[in-house]
This record gives sequence, C-alpha cells and structure tokens, in this order.
Amino acid sequence: MGKLLEVKDLAVSFQTYFGEVEAVRGVSFHVDKGETVALVGESGCGKSVTANSIMQLLPMPPAFYKNGQILFEGEDIVKKSDKEMQKIRGNKISMIFQDPMTSLNPTMKIGKQIIEGILKHQKLSRHEAKKKAIEMLELVSVPQPEKRINQYPHEFSGGMRQRVMIALAMVSNPELLIADEPTTALDVTVQAQILDLMKQIQDKLGTAIILITHDLGVVADISDRVIVMYAGKIMEEGTTDEIFKNPKHPYTRKLLGSVPRLDMDRNESLHSIEGTPPDLYRPPKGCPFFDRCDKAMVICKDHMPNKEYHSDSHYSYCWLNHPMAKAADEGSEI
Amino acid sequence: MVEPLISVRNVKKYFDVGKGKTLKAVDGISFDIYPGETFGLVGESGCGKSTAGRTIIRLYEPTDGETIFNGRNIYELSRHEMQEVRRDFQMIFQDPYASLNPRMSVLDIIAEPLDIHKAYKNHRERYNRVIELLKLVGLNEEHAQRFPHEFSGGQRQRIGIARALALNPKFIVCDEPISALDVSIQAQVVNLLKKLQKEFGLTYLFIAHDLSMVRYISDRVGVMYLGHMMELATSEELYNNPIHPYTQALLSAIPIPDPEIQRNRHRIMLEGDVPSPIDPKPNCRFVDRCRHATERCRRETPEFREIKENHFVACHRADEILRGSLK
Repeated sequence: MGKLLEVKDLAVSFQTYFGEVEAVRGVSFHVDKGETVALVGESGCGKSVTANSIMQLLPMPPAFYKNGQILFEGEDIVKKSDKEMQKIRGNKISMIFQDPMTSLNPTMKIGKQIIEGILKHQKLSRHEAKKKAIEMLELVSVPQPEKRINQYPHEFSGGMRQRVMIALAMVSNPELLIADEPTTALDVTVQAQILDLMKQIQDKLGTAIILITHDLGVVADISDRVIVMYAGKIMEEGTTDEIFKNPKHPYTRKLLGSVPRLDMDRNESLHSIEGTPPDLYRPPKGCPFFDRCDKAMVICKDHMPNKEYHSDSHYSYCWLNHPMAKAADEGSEI
Repeated sequence: MVEPLISVRNVKKYFDVGKGKTLKAVDGISFDIYPGETFGLVGESGCGKSTAGRTIIRLYEPTDGETIFNGRNIYELSRHEMQEVRRDFQMIFQDPYASLNPRMSVLDIIAEPLDIHKAYKNHRERYNRVIELLKLVGLNEEHAQRFPHEFSGGQRQRIGIARALALNPKFIVCDEPISALDVSIQAQVVNLLKKLQKEFGLTYLFIAHDLSMVRYISDRVGVMYLGHMMELATSEELYNNPIHPYTQALLSAIPIPDPEIQRNRHRIMLEGDVPSPIDPKPNCRFVDRCRHATERCRRETPEFREIKENHFVACHRADEILRGSLK
C-alpha cells in the first residue's frame, strides 16, 4: 500500500517569553492508506503538537516549524498557504478532539453544523446537504437522526457528541482522520462503543487513522502500528504486537509496566517511573530518558542513540540495542 | 469477626433540582468498611460514587440513612462532636490543581489541618511535623516554602496526601486521586498510597472509574450504577466471577493492554447511555440497557442480597446467572 502521509524530521518549537520550547525535536514516521497508527506518550511528549502541525492548527506565532517536511499525498503541508490548507483541512484530513463539547458550537443546531461542513467542500444544494447530514448521523449510529439534527449540542450526551464529531469529520470522506484522545473524556462502556464505531467506519470507508492517546489499552484495541514518543522524540516504533510483546526501549517497557493488568497479582508493586520528564526549554543533549532510566550508561547522557532496527517495521533509539552494548545483560543494572 | 470501622446503612442523598424534581444521586446504599482495608467504589460518571464518598464523611448532609463510626451514628453528632470525628476522616481529591490554594505556601497548606485542630504546642513543632510529612510522601524540606504552581501534577497530589495525613487519620476517602495524572505518575502515587497504608494501618475508600487500577489497589469493590449499589465482592471474586449484567458489561469494556487478548475477547456492548437520575422509576436502574431484563425488572427494584459468601448483588436474575442458565 502506498504511503499516504510521510513526516520527515519534523521539528516544531514555541517561542515564549522565557525562550524557545522545543516541543517536537526531529520526528519521522509515515502512515499508509487505511491503517491505524497510534502515537503514544505522556503529557508534554509532543504527540498533540505533531498531530496539530499536520493540520496546521498551531497558532503561529508562538509556534513555528523549525525543520522538516510533512508530505501528504506527495505534497509538503509545511509550505502550504492558509488558503491551500483550507482545501485540505476537513476535506482530505479531518480531526476529532478529546472534549466533544468544546469542539462543537453550543449555539448552533447539530444539523446546521454538519451541513455547513458539507457545503464548504461539496457542491450540493441545501436540501441534498441536509439529506447527507442525516445519512452521516445514521452512519455513526445516532438514533432518530431526523429529529436529532434539530437539537443543540447540550441535548446530547458525551458519547453522542463524540459520534456527532465523527460524523462531522467524515462528511467529505477524508483520507486521514486524526483522533486526539477521542475517548479520554468518556466512560469505559461508551469508550468501547466509540472505538467500535471508529473500527466500523474505517472498514467501510478505508480511512487511515492517527490515534493520539496515553491509554495503552485503547492502543492495543485498534491500532496496527505504535509510535512511542518521549520529550519530543520518537523512542520506539513497531507493529502493535512488536511493541506489546517485545518492547526494546526501557521507556516503552516501563510504560507498559506501570499499568495494572487484570491478570496481575495484587501484591506485586507497579513499576513506577521515578522523576519527571525533562524540561524542553533546555532539552538534554543525549537520550531524554537518561535520568529516569535504570539501565542508563555513561554514553546516554551526552549522545543521542542511533536508530537500531529489530525488524523491518520495528526500531528503537537506545544505546542498549547498539551492537557493541550486547555485552550488557538485559537484567543487569549499569 | 473483625468489627467494621465504618458501617454505611441505607444512605441516601437527594438534590433538589427545582420544578419539584429530585435528583437521586445516592439512593440507599449499605456496606461495611473494615479497618486496614481498601474499599473500591467504581462506576461511570454520574453514578453517584463521589457523592457517596462525600456523604459518608458528612461533607454533604445526608437525606436519609446512617453511618456508624466508633459505635455512633455520625449524622446525629453536633457540630462540635463532628469536629472531633473529622480528625479521623480525611479526603484526597481528584484535581491536584484545584484542591490546593494557589496563594498558600506548601508549609501552610499541609499545616492547615494542624492549625484548625490546634495540634501543636509551638511553631517549631508545627514546622517539624510538616517536614516529617513532606518526607513521608517523597518530597523534602526545601519544598516547604514553595507555592503549588511550582509543582507538577504528581507532586501536587503528594502534597494533598501529606495534608490528608497531618492529623493521623484512620479513614481516607480518595476521590479519583490519580485520574488526572499520567500513567507513569499514577503508578508512583498508587505505590505511595499502598506504602502509607501498610505503615499507618490506614483504611481507604478508593473512588475511581479506572477498573484495572481499582482491582489492583482494592481488597473489596462495590459497583454503583445510578445511585444504587449493584454488586459488591472481594476484588478477586468480582473480577473473576461478576454476576450482575452491568458489572459483566463494565468489565468486558475495559481495554486490556495486550493486543492478542484484545483481539480474541468477547465484548458485551451496552446500548445507549446512562439514563437520567432525576426522578427515576421504581425499577431496576439498569433495566433499559440489560440483556436479561424481564417484566419483573421493570416493576420492582431488586433487593441487594448476599448470593454467595461475601458476594452481594442486586439483580432479580442473579440465581439464574449464577447457575449458568442464562447466557
């Protein structure tokens, strides 16, 4: 399958009163047609900034692209003007957000909001657009769509609002859907419904999805590939099975170990990661995970590790995986 | 048989929402909490778990029912007597940003309970106690003079925990103490809570919606839905043999961080959303979303009864589910 999106060495910074915050520091990855890629990491790791820069949604200034390219269908998004972006945004690439209440206009009926989105990108009459809006609500399983399009967002529950957001995002049948923590604000049973819905829609329409989340359970549920980010850099990437079964980076291992599993013994203590992520005003020269890593070596402090491949689809940035570090036993602490 | 530390009996908390309507946030729940244990209270948003936690320690005045602590019903105590009891009850809140006064130094925040209960003789003693508490939660002396905005979420939650421990309480209500934190920090806070429990023999009421975390930290777990307790059992029992159809659905909806299990497991999908808790009908609260609902479930509220030893459930069809005749 062809590459739909290719991010090459992307660096995004924010100019603030105190200096430059390097939120994303050289990130490269790609998304194929119809697949789901998860961007995983903790708050401040740059996952949302990466996603927002694909949509050119970052306020500029203070944000600016420092380096890199974002190739969507072969064209560089970084170089696009506002006008050109408007043709892509909501049409070829759509986005859904964490909090569906703040992303819908509270003073506008649901139907009108969807119709507005349809008319923006498609040459349809108002009547046809309304029919299409009802179809879209049916697609996302909102009951009684004819009645619901005349209601306001506050008359919808959290799960229903997220369905409306998905309908809104899917109106022009985009190639790529960016979902920024789409289920974080929802209850587990509703979360399961929404994840199911996203899978169904993907099967039906063949949309590629970039899923941004910190919930590893959600990742295991719907993604094909996983990218683990930390302090503005990619630490590890692989297929979902590779990341969960055979994590190569200590951070990925720790992250997986810090979630309690249902089959875990209750007397075991959770593997917490001591300390906090580094300050991105002055990002560390070497591996950013250095001071929280229990396997850190002298070299980690000042030198960023190279990319080491473990399979065609699986790579990580860690000195432990360097051929010369093989002597360092997995279990031993250095 | 160990005496329960706290016995909650038929506690109700209604809110008047105007126009003669009543929101029944907590509608008659009963359970015991034993000394030294962690009692987990789970449920989805709006099920009344936080209201229950607050009503039990009388932060909210109850509409009905009683909570027995040290042989006395705390709802009948006078204001003065209540203040004595409050020493033994503390609370840790969900939002570590909203629960610390931004204009107070960490020293004053942690010392506030000591100030209110006049628990020190002189300034030296007050200061020393605060430093002792800071060290207990993994912070140090230099943090005492700083202000909340200088701390990360995880550190703020530690400050909240230090404040809760200041008066050597017996019972702490933890209201979603970790849901605002990152996963790696969550583990830090949970490990800290467990350590402190061992050290001081604390009893927790742990309110959360993260079911895998609740299973991990709790000895016994109660599942709430729309103000009613649906099921209560030890956490092993509840997670291995859930009886109530709601608990079953809830557990099957938890995403498991393992792609292989996730692909092959059977999920019970719940249709629709949680109905409104305003003026609910006298039936099983879960009836509209239940796979096994019958006429009887629409007519009467099922009784909360012990179906196996230490396993309580409120469902008319529990016996059939237990026998395995319902699939």
